[in-house]
Amino acid sequence: MNAVLLNGLVALPAGFALLAALVSRRERAAVGVAVVGALATFAWSVWLVLRLGSAGGALGDPDRSVDVVWLEALDLHWRLGLDGISGALVLMSTLVFAAALFSLLRHGPDDAEGGPRRTGSLAVLLLVIEAGVLGSFLALDMVLFFVFFEVALIPMWFVISTWGDAHDAAARRRAATRFLVFTVTGSALMLVGFLLVRAEAGTFDIARVAASYTPSGPTALAASLLVALGLAVKTPLWPLHIWLPDAHSKAPTVGSVVLAAVLLKLGTYGFVRFWMPVTSPDWLLVPVVAALAVVGIVYGALACLAQADLKRLIAYSSVGHMGFVVLGAATFTLGGVQAAVFASVAHGLITGLLFFLAGAIKDRYGTTDLAELRLLYGKVPRMGGLFAFAAMASLGLPGLAGFWGEMLAIRAAVSPAAGLSETTYRWLAFIAALGVILASAYFLAVMRSMLQGPAVEATPSVDHVDVGAALPTDRVAAVRLGDRRPDVDAGEWVTWGPLAVLTVALGVAPGLLLTPVADAARAFLGGLG
Amino acid sequence: MSWVVLLLVVLPFVSAVLSLWVGHRGEVAERGIAVGAAALGFVLAVAVALPHLGDAEPLSHVFAATSAVGPPIELAFHVDQLSALMLLLAHTVAFLVQVYSLGYMAGDPRYPSYAALVSVFTGSMTLVVTADDLWALLIGWELMGACSYFLISHHWELPEARAGAVKAFLMTRTADLGLLFAIIVLGVRFDSYRISTIMGEIATGGFGRDDLWLPALLLTAAVVGKSAQFPLHTWLPDAMPGPTPISALIHAATMVAAGVFLVARAYPLFLSAPVALTTLALVAAVTMFIAAVSALFTGDLKRVLAWSTVSQLAYMFGALAVGAYEAGVLHLLAHGAFKALLFLAAGSVVHAVGTTSMSAMGGLRGKLPDTFITMTIGFGALAGVVPLVGFFTKDAVIGAVWEAAHEGHLVWPWVAWLLLVSAVVTAVLTVAYSLRAWLMVFFTPPVVEPVETPAATPERADLHESPLSMKVPLYLLTIPTVLGGLLVAYPGVAFAEVEHTLVHPTTAVLMTLLVAATAAVVYLLWRRHGGRDPWHPFVLPHPAVDRVYDVGVVRPVRLLARAVRAGDRDVIDGYADGAGATTRGLGWLLRRAQNGNVQAYLMVVVVGACAIAVAAGVAA
Repeated sequence: MNAVLLNGLVALPAGFALLAALVSRRERAAVGVAVVGALATFAWSVWLVLRLGSAGGALGDPDRSVDVVWLEALDLHWRLGLDGISGALVLMSTLVFAAALFSLLRHGPDDAEGGPRRTGSLAVLLLVIEAGVLGSFLALDMVLFFVFFEVALIPMWFVISTWGDAHDAAARRRAATRFLVFTVTGSALMLVGFLLVRAEAGTFDIARVAASYTPSGPTALAASLLVALGLAVKTPLWPLHIWLPDAHSKAPTVGSVVLAAVLLKLGTYGFVRFWMPVTSPDWLLVPVVAALAVVGIVYGALACLAQADLKRLIAYSSVGHMGFVVLGAATFTLGGVQAAVFASVAHGLITGLLFFLAGAIKDRYGTTDLAELRLLYGKVPRMGGLFAFAAMASLGLPGLAGFWGEMLAIRAAVSPAAGLSETTYRWLAFIAALGVILASAYFLAVMRSMLQGPAVEATPSVDHVDVGAALPTDRVAAVRLGDRRPDVDAGEWVTWGPLAVLTVALGVAPGLLLTPVADAARAFLGGLG
Repeated sequence: MSWVVLLLVVLPFVSAVLSLWVGHRGEVAERGIAVGAAALGFVLAVAVALPHLGDAEPLSHVFAATSAVGPPIELAFHVDQLSALMLLLAHTVAFLVQVYSLGYMAGDPRYPSYAALVSVFTGSMTLVVTADDLWALLIGWELMGACSYFLISHHWELPEARAGAVKAFLMTRTADLGLLFAIIVLGVRFDSYRISTIMGEIATGGFGRDDLWLPALLLTAAVVGKSAQFPLHTWLPDAMPGPTPISALIHAATMVAAGVFLVARAYPLFLSAPVALTTLALVAAVTMFIAAVSALFTGDLKRVLAWSTVSQLAYMFGALAVGAYEAGVLHLLAHGAFKALLFLAAGSVVHAVGTTSMSAMGGLRGKLPDTFITMTIGFGALAGVVPLVGFFTKDAVIGAVWEAAHEGHLVWPWVAWLLLVSAVVTAVLTVAYSLRAWLMVFFTPPVVEPVETPAATPERADLHESPLSMKVPLYLLTIPTVLGGLLVAYPGVAFAEVEHTLVHPTTAVLMTLLVAATAAVVYLLWRRHGGRDPWHPFVLPHPAVDRVYDVGVVRPVRLLARAVRAGDRDVIDGYADGAGATTRGLGWLLRRAQNGNVQAYLMVVVVGACAIAVAAGVAA
């Protein structure tokens, strides 16, 4: 039964992708099929997580996992399993995919003339990505993880290069290609690392590696380094982040949402699941990774302070948030793992919401240039309020989901695992905390310039939206779209509502997530303090 | 009873959601929800607080706990006499502010979000004063910061409102890091985040003078930011562009009061860390004086009150620093009453005149009789006039500092003496600025200034007293302002341990004489200037600390940010060029695939799979 559930979670989106592809001549039908598929996958994942989350036992137990020999000569297994760590990310991902596909029903990406652009094929690709992502989260075999990782990457390249920024075809292609080159190179390094681990530990099965492998010696170090490099590109870790701002800002709205909320988590999940077991905290590599993560926190925040484009700003904010995740993992404590997973999930919800909002703003006003966006509190008060909410969540306001992950990462860094220098980590914790202040600074700056503004231009009315006044005339075509859709509409409430509600729920009751993650981390990485 | 506490915390949040959700449906709905919830909250607060005053057993209850790594994070409440007093203060002021806002905010299109934020503010303060878990306290603590940010920028079309809101949030949030790290350190040290457990262990356990200095100093940093003490005192006066009822709420019952509350809540920790107490005493001594001088020279009514808050909060910290717990808490309560009264009365003046500049006021005594009476009582209490509450509590503070200077042991004697001198000088300055403001608002003939608001024309025939919804809260607040002194005379009602009265006859007489002498001098100066500003308009330079922050923090950060942005752009382009050669080969492949046909895509996957196979074979 569990095997059916596990296989089904990968098969469902793949099957629905096929189905949608068959009817892709008829756009709306294809999107409809895809939405049904995403919702079914979400429901399926809830069932799976409830079932496997309640049952005890270790991650690799035969009755809790799938193990079919795939290529015997290569010792390659179709090996899937799920615990609290992957369960949290699976649920977040299926929810975000469902929201993203649902949003395509009404707000597909437009081309330069404002017409629709082959939304059906986009929906198909999103489902393929979903299958790849879920496969990566469930994979217990290192090579299988790599395969699913690739399956998720390549369709993303199509999404960015085909449906990206309609006004700048060259830029979106460049962004897409850079994204692919970076991540493919990274995952190739990661694969070599996995092969070295196989040579040392004798298996590709990460559950067995985590249970019995004690990494030591130069080969093990090289393996760990290569895996870390590959994941560092994906996460991304400073200074390998430079593919990210372009990819995230040139992608279509759903692409940005999926990239930020889900695809980055492949990297952070990889750090917890595939890097920590093959790494010894005694190596210098570990504090170096932690230090790079903290550099990323501050660097990302500083970059945000100087950004002139909303989508680029949100993209850079991800660099900072991912820094907290990696810092948590690099403490090699159970608390750090907990922090990493919590921060990953929270970032998925909050940054997903932020990119949705940025996309909605772009739909209405034809731009995400912060120099041109003004007074959203006055023009679209509900959307402005929602943006303020999401910004507060993203800057780590206690009581909302964004707070716990970052706070727990700082707490973990204050008392890292034995063998790691306390002094180093306490300094890192302090610098990371300063990054939180910088994050507040840039979000307040955005809110001040984009949401607020002098009264002369304001038309503070709820129903009537006068967008023409504040914009140059050459944007009138784009503004027309804004006119058609005044404030948050019903479809947008349905799409964004669950993300916002969960942001509050996890902020108020962090135990919902902390407890299963802690149990899973204890079972998976039992040796940690 | 513990469920009532939970309800008391949750209720304001529910009412906030309702306000936002159905608030646009109509006036009855939006007002009914806001005021109804506030009234219910007041009733519940009274029900919770009254049984826990005096020598009653504190109420402790844990609703839920995470069984995560490290000490559990709990939804736990602890209501003792301190919480009870703070609950009464917060909910009384919040209720009166909601009633007052009916009149003050009438016709404001942003009323629903305003009412919702006031509710969240109240709920957050309730959480702070009742929470037994440090993380829960932190949530309330920072939510208040966020609420004040939104409420200060309520009039976001004004540039000073936008700037003030950002400044308030950033300064307090920076200081909040102190609380965050204090919580982490305490958690490591005591293996618990339960406040009552930690304080109990400190009170009973034998901790040396040097054991707990770090968390105590970290808490001091948090408190200095939240309560706007030197050197983080500049955000509070800049927060004045917010609606006046909000100022009443922030200054009297929530935000800044939370800082004093935290010191009182963590008092065993502070008592065991003399370095933190000494720091607090020094900060208080410097702050009360600086703030009073600033209040003396500012020409804006609300800024006078804001600076006076900063100064009065310093009195409370001074009292707590020398070990006078009851005096500090009582001054907090008294200040809550008369500062709420003063701000609401100032709101009434602003409502009528349309500006906060005192030079445009004057001669309002006959036009606003109710405001005149109530505000006079408020200023009297602030200045410390017998027999108003401010006189008694301020005397309790000064008396305690006097004793500490003579025979105290908590802080160094010279610090206590410095504090005493500063407290006395500040008391004199307080009389001076209160009297000046009072004279300028109600007696001085207004200087005709080109003020844009029509209500502020020199004739002001249409000047009118505020509506009933605004007057009633004013009169209600005069009750504790006039009678609150009884609590100082008989503190046993609120504090179980205190048997004796907190009135110090010697200092009381001396201070009364000082007050009278100062008042006489100010009055003579005022007469001498022909009934105008008793000292020539003398504008104090902008606080020097702000300049330091600007040069030392804001500009370097901006520079760095620009450098990062430019650097990133160069690197990205550099990669693009440098990697061009390698990319071109791959790019050619990708361009093949780019036409979107499925064969090409499948090819990539297959080639990848083959690569895996080959690589795996090599490894095997």
